Amino acid sequence: MIAMKLTAIKTLSRYRSYLFPVSILVLLLWGAAVVSRVDPAVLAAGIPRGIDLLGHMLPPDWAAFPQLMAPALKTLQIAFVGTVFGILAAFVVSLFAAANINPNRAVRETMRGLLSAQRALPDLIILLFFVAIVGLGPFPGVMALAVSSVGMLGKLFADAIEEVDPRPMEALVAVGATKGQIIRYAVLPQVMPSLIANSLYRFDTNIRMSIFLGAVGAGGIGFDLVVSIRLLDYQTAFSAIIVVLILVLACEKLSDVLRTRLFGQEVLR
Amino acid sequence: MNKHPKKQKQNEEVHYQRWYRRWFWPGSFFMLLFVWCLFALNISPRQFWEGIPHFFSLVSEMFPPNWAVFTRGKVLWSILEVLSMAFLGTFLGTLFSFFLALLAAGNLTPSPLVRTAAKWLMAAERAVPTLIIILLLVVVVGLGPFAGMIALAIGSVGMLGKLFAEAMENVDPKPLESLVSTGASKLQVIRYAVLPQVAPSLIANTLYKFDINLRAALFLGVVGGGGIGFELHLAMSLFRYADALAITVMTLVVVWLAEKISDYLRRRIIGQEVLQ
Amino acid sequence: MLSVKNIAKKLPDGRLLLRDISFEVKKGEFVGILGESGVGKTVLLRCINGLTTPDSGEVIINGGHYAQKINGKKGKDLREIQRHIGMIFQGSILVKRLSVLENVLTGRLGRISPIRSLVYGFTDDEVEVALEALEKVGVRHLADRQAQTLSGGEMQRVAIARALFQEPYLLLADEPVSNLDPKNTEMVLDYLQPLTRQMAIVGVFHSPKLVSQYCTRAIGIKDGVVLYDGSPHISPSMLIAIYGTDLPEQPARQVAVA
Repeated sequence: MIAMKLTAIKTLSRYRSYLFPVSILVLLLWGAAVVSRVDPAVLAAGIPRGIDLLGHMLPPDWAAFPQLMAPALKTLQIAFVGTVFGILAAFVVSLFAAANINPNRAVRETMRGLLSAQRALPDLIILLFFVAIVGLGPFPGVMALAVSSVGMLGKLFADAIEEVDPRPMEALVAVGATKGQIIRYAVLPQVMPSLIANSLYRFDTNIRMSIFLGAVGAGGIGFDLVVSIRLLDYQTAFSAIIVVLILVLACEKLSDVLRTRLFGQEVLR
Repeated sequence: MNKHPKKQKQNEEVHYQRWYRRWFWPGSFFMLLFVWCLFALNISPRQFWEGIPHFFSLVSEMFPPNWAVFTRGKVLWSILEVLSMAFLGTFLGTLFSFFLALLAAGNLTPSPLVRTAAKWLMAAERAVPTLIIILLLVVVVGLGPFAGMIALAIGSVGMLGKLFAEAMENVDPKPLESLVSTGASKLQVIRYAVLPQVAPSLIANTLYKFDINLRAALFLGVVGGGGIGFELHLAMSLFRYADALAITVMTLVVVWLAEKISDYLRRRIIGQEVLQ
Repeated sequence: MLSVKNIAKKLPDGRLLLRDISFEVKKGEFVGILGESGVGKTVLLRCINGLTTPDSGEVIINGGHYAQKINGKKGKDLREIQRHIGMIFQGSILVKRLSVLENVLTGRLGRISPIRSLVYGFTDDEVEVALEALEKVGVRHLADRQAQTLSGGEMQRVAIARALFQEPYLLLADEPVSNLDPKNTEMVLDYLQPLTRQMAIVGVFHSPKLVSQYCTRAIGIKDGVVLYDGSPHISPSMLIAIYGTDLPEQPARQVAVA
């Protein structure tokens, strides 16, 4: 008995240094559970509800599939246009933010600061802001995606531009080329693969975001999904879920394929 | 690397292609696609043009921000809700991801079948947009932060599970081997050889996911998850722009603070491990 | 063609690198500049074509009807002068992801309006001349290849083709063969030398032997001034004066004409 107590005390004292942080953690977790209204009873009641829900969702509403094509397309279009706008804006900003292209430090730091500030802004706020300006619909969705992409893309582009080998640039300076010519002939060829890779990756992210934005009012398949659930039309909802999954998986596959095609062959210049 | 010949007077293969020729087909395709999308979405310069006066009127209605909105306890509480959702959700997600990763790591898994199943689970979760998860959860457990918290927990499994599994697979095998050779059980090996090596990376990834989840929690509020996202959306929908600005500012401050703390913790913990 | 007067340049930490460099170069000359590492040969070259600004002194480019002072000029004026000066650097300075032909074509960017070069590109005639330039250095068959697939010697020849295409009054070469093996060195310099028919060449070399073999004139720089300016065959005692006691290599046995 005493031996057991001794080993217990020894073990406990070994962890003494962990006592404080662990108890804080436990306290925080408990607090969070309270605020989040964690309730095992609700969870328990939820399980039969969940099974019931699944029963209602199957089989999916096959007739709904053709009708869901249009919203799915819309979601893609929103993501596409938003990403393109974002890429254009990010590219322009990145030229001003790159040290080897813009010697003016004040402008550079301002640009980098703006990009950083944008990255700090939660995307929801950007979307709600645009909705408040122009109302619901695809346009605020497109603008929200564009703006939310600029921060990340702008930084990645600017970093890529700064990492370019400076010597070809110098060779062109020595020839008497203008800045624009140097960018076009010495910088862009070097930086193009990175630009495209990052853009494709962002497009992927934006498709998922576009689905979400649809739920918040931009239209598209996200919207249809939310509506069908609110109307308790679970079979249609399941069809919408299937469409979303196909969309996401197809786009992932597509960007994988595009990436290997473009970079595997070094077609890009 | 051969390029297509372009028309020239002589009959030799020609070398130089102007950019618009090289990119003619992909370029035109892209342009057509783009313009088609613009038309389909009804986007035109006019939308931009008409938006500008709306922008100014919005700004004028937003200022000054109505800080009184926080005297209504509900709004203040919803800030706690997002933080709690993100915190608890990430914690539970991390826990579950850890155990899942143990099953998915090549050097630790009990069987290849289990490994495939675990990896498949993680990939499946990554594929499913969190929107779907939250919408279904709301039906099952009702509106509010509980659903949001579970959605975030589930939503963390794919990313954290993969990162954890990779960290475990990249562990230095020598300490494991030496422990196994002394007859330690699998659990002991994990506790004493694997865990210490992966702990910094685990914690760093968890903190990173927390940042992501906090922002996600804002979105979840709008679709039924509770939290300040909901309040913000509500204020905007009711055109109470001064309220909305106050809520926005508070949200920005909270998110920024949380990310700063997360950064600090990450640096402290990684720093400690490095020193050790 | 080129007139360098009293060039002085300080290092960033304040020490004087170049004190008082003066010399003149006429068309048809192939001048080899020698000196210890760090003595400022590259800086001098960069002062000549405006990539670096000297603290004092003048650089005047004279093309017959055309005489321009370089220092003090900026922007468009500087570019106008730079288009008449070609430069070859040590190592590869081609744009790796462009084709060899496109690299050569960039030589004339100083002469083409930015708008035209961005929107249209290069004219068929320009392409013809560029291909001829590649022919002259023996790499026309590589015209379509991406620049990064070439060997060091081939790349330098493309750089020469680019300089040729640029049709400058003056060609500067900053240690153009230091990276190359002896066979390639010989090949590159064999192509470089005949260019003196069209332009003056000023090259920085690390090897007095090469200078004695190919150049028409040698300039030795030490302690920031021109220590020696004359025949490319430098006497051993003069070499020691230029290099201190570490000679880069044994000079070829020549009759001393210092």
